[in-house]
Amino acid sequence: MLKKELLFRNPLRLMEHKTEDVLQSGGFGAVLARSGVGKTALLVQLAMDSLLRNKNVLHISLNDSVKKVCLWYEEVFRNIADQNNIRQIEQLWEAIVPHRLIMTFKVDTFSVPKLKERMTDLIEQNIFLPQVMLIDGLPFDKDTKKALTELKKLAESRFMYIWFTVRTHRHDEYDPDGMPDSLLHLADLFDVIVHLQPEGKEIHVKTLKGVPLACDCPELILDPSTMLVKG
Amino acid sequence: MEKASEKVRNIGISAHIDSGKTTLTERILFYSKRIHAIHDVKGKDGVGATMDSMELEKERGITIASAATYCEWREHEINIIDTPGHVDFTIEVERALKVLDGAILVLCSVGGVQSQSITVDQQMKRYKVPCLAFINKCDRSGANPSRVIEQLKNKLGHNTVVMQIPIGLEADFEGVVDLISMKAVYFDGINGEIVRVEDIPENLLSEIAEKREELIDVASMFSDELMEAALEDNVTEELIVSAVRKATISREMTPVFMGSAYKNKGIQPILDAVTNFLPSPDEVENHALDPSNNEAEVILCNDSQKPLVAYAFKIEEGQYGQLTYVRVYQGMLEKGDTIFNVRTGKKVKIGRLARMHANQMEEIGKISAGYIGALFGIDCASGDTFVSKGINFTMTSMFIPNPVISLAIIPRDSTAEVNMSKALNRFSKEDPTFKTYVSEETGDTIISGMGELHLEVYVERMRREYNAEVTTGTPTVSYRETITRLAEFNYTHKKQTGGAGQFGRIAGYMEPITEEEFVFENKITGGSIPTQFISACEKGFRKCFEKGPKMEFPVTGIKIVINDGQSHSVDSSDMAFYAAARGAFREGYAKAKPVIHEPIMKVVVETPIEYQGAVMGSLNQRRGIIVASQDEGYMCAIEVQVPLSEMFGYSTVLRSLTQGKAQFTMEFHIYKRVPVLIAEELAKKAKKD
Repeated sequence: MLKKELLFRNPLRLMEHKTEDVLQSGGFGAVLARSGVGKTALLVQLAMDSLLRNKNVLHISLNDSVKKVCLWYEEVFRNIADQNNIRQIEQLWEAIVPHRLIMTFKVDTFSVPKLKERMTDLIEQNIFLPQVMLIDGLPFDKDTKKALTELKKLAESRFMYIWFTVRTHRHDEYDPDGMPDSLLHLADLFDVIVHLQPEGKEIHVKTLKGVPLACDCPELILDPSTMLVKG
Repeated sequence: MEKASEKVRNIGISAHIDSGKTTLTERILFYSKRIHAIHDVKGKDGVGATMDSMELEKERGITIASAATYCEWREHEINIIDTPGHVDFTIEVERALKVLDGAILVLCSVGGVQSQSITVDQQMKRYKVPCLAFINKCDRSGANPSRVIEQLKNKLGHNTVVMQIPIGLEADFEGVVDLISMKAVYFDGINGEIVRVEDIPENLLSEIAEKREELIDVASMFSDELMEAALEDNVTEELIVSAVRKATISREMTPVFMGSAYKNKGIQPILDAVTNFLPSPDEVENHALDPSNNEAEVILCNDSQKPLVAYAFKIEEGQYGQLTYVRVYQGMLEKGDTIFNVRTGKKVKIGRLARMHANQMEEIGKISAGYIGALFGIDCASGDTFVSKGINFTMTSMFIPNPVISLAIIPRDSTAEVNMSKALNRFSKEDPTFKTYVSEETGDTIISGMGELHLEVYVERMRREYNAEVTTGTPTVSYRETITRLAEFNYTHKKQTGGAGQFGRIAGYMEPITEEEFVFENKITGGSIPTQFISACEKGFRKCFEKGPKMEFPVTGIKIVINDGQSHSVDSSDMAFYAAARGAFREGYAKAKPVIHEPIMKVVVETPIEYQGAVMGSLNQRRGIIVASQDEGYMCAIEVQVPLSEMFGYSTVLRSLTQGKAQFTMEFHIYKRVPVLIAEELAKKAKKD
């Protein structure tokens, strides 16, 4: 009951087709932003949305420690609970934690074969069957295409979809659609790309590729004080 | 002779088990001339390191008790609290940390930052203890200080700054280069007591120049003077020291030192560092609570002229009676003074005061503010606060978790029985997480605590220190009962057996709560239950919490509200309402969907990567929920939530799964509902018994 209500109120729904996921199995989504703008915050909200729908989320972080990732979740969860005046947050929290698994790797030792091996361990022993994967902090450079192609295969074979964070830089150049140069040659791998753009005191969530917002929907904004998306 | 308090350092040596902190302490005591010979922890000479005052510790090579000792170094007085290294004894670590002003975090240069270093580090953060890092065992094969420094940064989030560079490593480890004085330091003599300072070896010059620049860069963030001096290229030693000191005390920087305690290398420099970079009692702000003012925080002043506030952080039963280790936060303890124990409200007269050096002691006349010492023959529990007449402060009450595991112990014979009760009396005074009681049903003595090992160690200590041979039962988990929904009750207790009868009716409801264990609320209006019987009602309800009607486990997390009732002018009594409350509880409880809760532990396993699949599998089989895994290159830390009942004997399982290469820590996390199948099994078992 509680979960359903939270889902209904979640402005992230606006980005997706009512109750269906914006991504299908094998699909890729990307959250673009400069560092410190709120990529991880948005990623964790996407995760929270899946968790509330009882989907298993595998969160992979290449920058942060487990402790820090956990803190993100706790923070986002508390803010969502505060905003919606949820009282029994502990029970709800305990109910969603089993659906989440965090894995952290050192960015320089991370590789897709390594990830595959880990996932096989989890899946074969029936420990955790991820339905959604989040990869935070994968560097997007000249070698990324190969890794992404491998991940695509992995996602397809495991019937899951993957969200990535992509860090943009001050010196990046953008094409007329707002896509940064560095991502142009990879854009066809992604089904959805959103860009977080700070404008004044607000952070706008702009869709560069994929499902555009319905016309009657207000623009999505990331509230810098809570880092939550609001409609 | 006591020194001025700016020359005092109260420090602890905290570390992972086996990283060599007892050896380090031993060497410190040797170089400061407190002891005249060196023994090893697992020594062949049977004497053992001085700080390990307990037999058992000598045998296992671990330190359980935090003995306090003091030494002098370069006109500074250093009090050292030897903190236990095992996570099962964290209450002792926490108490020790509370009285420290600074600490040396000892890390093994081979093992690096391990799960327990993380626990210890978190505790230091909680008590805001500034620290220096000492990377020990640089002489071992596989020593890699730079990897440990990386781990300190990444795993523990320290802003590390390297103060020394090793000269050679592993078997070639000779000494260190000090980056402040820019000199090479070697340690000669049989016990490394002769410090030889020389010029830096040529082959290290470029690395040293780079590291020194790094040091000045980081340190100058905390000192404008140093920054200016760096720009003008006239950096002095004093400027660096004062900048590093400032940043260390505010916990914004962790200076890193290295050496090998076992090989007697690098100890004197760490002692210099303690005096240079760790704070004196004057530089630390301590707080007490004022119970008369809603436990508001009061800042204490490190001034011997002010009224006394002293904290008993450790007690020990010695040959001559109880020895109480205290830290004086404010005022002064003097022989013959009369002081008050805040917890008991009792007056205490100070007989003898002493300063301790592991097992030996030296009598002193007074203990001033900022100092650590010991009181003789005073009856108190650890964690008590002593004050002088007129003030009523208590040092921060620490969070004490409820025990999660129990064990029945049966003495072998009557001598053992007497000794056992002596031992239990002392242990429960020393350690508030260790509890003991006699089971009403079986008549057995039950001990309870925070984990299997926690209890095992106490059973061992009973055997060795008190000569009390006991046999132990199988450990049992402390389950709990609670309700899941609101339920009403309306119960009448009526008895007429000739003579005065008993009559009482209580109505109201009970509902689940999460914040507290038991709440009783009286919403009766119009005196349907006369006020004088209300406390009998509360007592009746409270009594029912001791043993739940479902499975006889303690009941928690229920709010009882009474809003109606009835009394009789002649037949109503305290007795009658007490009985009515018990009846009302049973009536409501049955309707409130009672469930069993079990303790869930947070377990962190550190294992080499190749075993992580097997380890995860073993935890999954134990109803564990894998929360996270952190990849650290060679090692990997897996964080899991597992029911305590599934963790018995896990250390053996883990050892055989990983060829002894993995280790785990366990601490209480939360109470959670037992799955239906398991609850049924428990019920079946309870029936059998």
